[in-house]
Amino acid sequence: MNMQPLLPQGAELAHPPTRGKVYGSLILAFALTLLPWMDQIRWLVPDFTLMLLLYWSIRTPRLAGLGLAFSIGLLTDVVRGAVFGLNALAFCAATFIVLLVQRRLEGFDISRQTLQLSPILLGKEALVLALGLTMGRGAIDWRWLLAGVVAAALWAPMAWLVDRITNRPSPNERGRQPAL
Amino acid sequence: MSPAPHAPLFVREMGLPARFSLYALFCLFLLALDARYATLSGVRAGLNAVIHPAQIALAQPWEWLQNVGRFFIAHGELAAENANLKRQQELISAGLLDRTAIGAENAQLRALLALPERPGFRLLAGEIIETSPDPFSRKVIINRGGSHGIASGWPVVDATGLVGQVTRVYPWSAEVTLLTDRDQGAPAQNMRNGLRIIVTGQGSDNLLEVRFLDMHADLQAGDLLYTSGIDGIYPAGVPVARVLKIEPPRHSPFARALCQPLGGVGRYRHMAVLAPTTPNAAATGRLLLTPKAKSP
Repeated sequence: MNMQPLLPQGAELAHPPTRGKVYGSLILAFALTLLPWMDQIRWLVPDFTLMLLLYWSIRTPRLAGLGLAFSIGLLTDVVRGAVFGLNALAFCAATFIVLLVQRRLEGFDISRQTLQLSPILLGKEALVLALGLTMGRGAIDWRWLLAGVVAAALWAPMAWLVDRITNRPSPNERGRQPAL
Repeated sequence: MSPAPHAPLFVREMGLPARFSLYALFCLFLLALDARYATLSGVRAGLNAVIHPAQIALAQPWEWLQNVGRFFIAHGELAAENANLKRQQELISAGLLDRTAIGAENAQLRALLALPERPGFRLLAGEIIETSPDPFSRKVIINRGGSHGIASGWPVVDATGLVGQVTRVYPWSAEVTLLTDRDQGAPAQNMRNGLRIIVTGQGSDNLLEVRFLDMHADLQAGDLLYTSGIDGIYPAGVPVARVLKIEPPRHSPFARALCQPLGGVGRYRHMAVLAPTTPNAAATGRLLLTPKAKSP
């Protein structure tokens, strides 16, 4: 196994992730959740913002972290008309877990990342439902958990797409030292 | 070149767990604050005003698509619909004549009894611009807000019955909690015998319930429930629900009735907010409630 180089090499150095890329993609994902989805499939729509936030937390934890998760969570609360802090807490918790194991996730390819991230994406939906339950909002609709499953299923295409758009080199290319 | 996204040489910040606990504590603080007190409504309204234009802009392409689709409706369909509407129009105008006569008579009788004038409500038409993707609540956002004179607490109806109540007001939009929301209730009256009950939502899209119904209450499947108006919020006589079935008491001393909402709760795009025209409509509304004053 080869060590991760201290500084980015090759293509990663030529096209580093920038603030503009991170915020621009997050705004796009947020707009995607704002679309007027049909009521029949509303509960299936995954949280695109969270997926993109986790993606950037894994790739560049210096640019995306807990602070960003908190602000986006608050905005989600406003848009969904939920109690203030409900989604913010869920977003922070998901980002925290991802940041804890960020070193491991960073080295994985997309399919293994999916395996590791699916409990987190599912857990976020479960946390939102559980928090709502403890706030005494009564009977809950467990169908909404499926949004987490859909998010896990969409992780691989999403990560692949963002990788391509931002010119990220493939993982085996990333670990290799440039030929001197 | 953007700032390097790599670790600085000297780390001078809190550890990850410490930062997370701070954020989590703050979130819990916000949760408690928002759930118990209404102090954060200003912040919410501000943030909503920022996001609202984006929401409108994103909904626009769908509107255009729908308009284009509507443009290509076949001619025959239009003709049939036109004939149908004409027939309906005749029926309605016939009914309306009757109604004006009854209204005039009612006003005279009221004047005779020296009752205060029936509290007036002005209709403010609105359109649903968004449904809220929250598993716990049944709420919709309409395109009328504080700048159109909407205030929190006003009832919302549509062509067929009661829909809900305005619960949050933003500058250009307002949040309507539907009758089917678990926390929403409406005082109702059985049309058949004037029995007064409270109809509440139960979180399901097309069912309402009457909780804590007296075992011996005279309520049957098929009964029509109208608002009674004793709360001073909803005007009296708005159709609310039809009783579907009565569940006899099993584990509690009370029976329970399941009802079907009469208003198109969450089905129609357009609805009307009832704005009280007199400031003390609520107070006068209470005085008006005489069981016999109901006209079918």
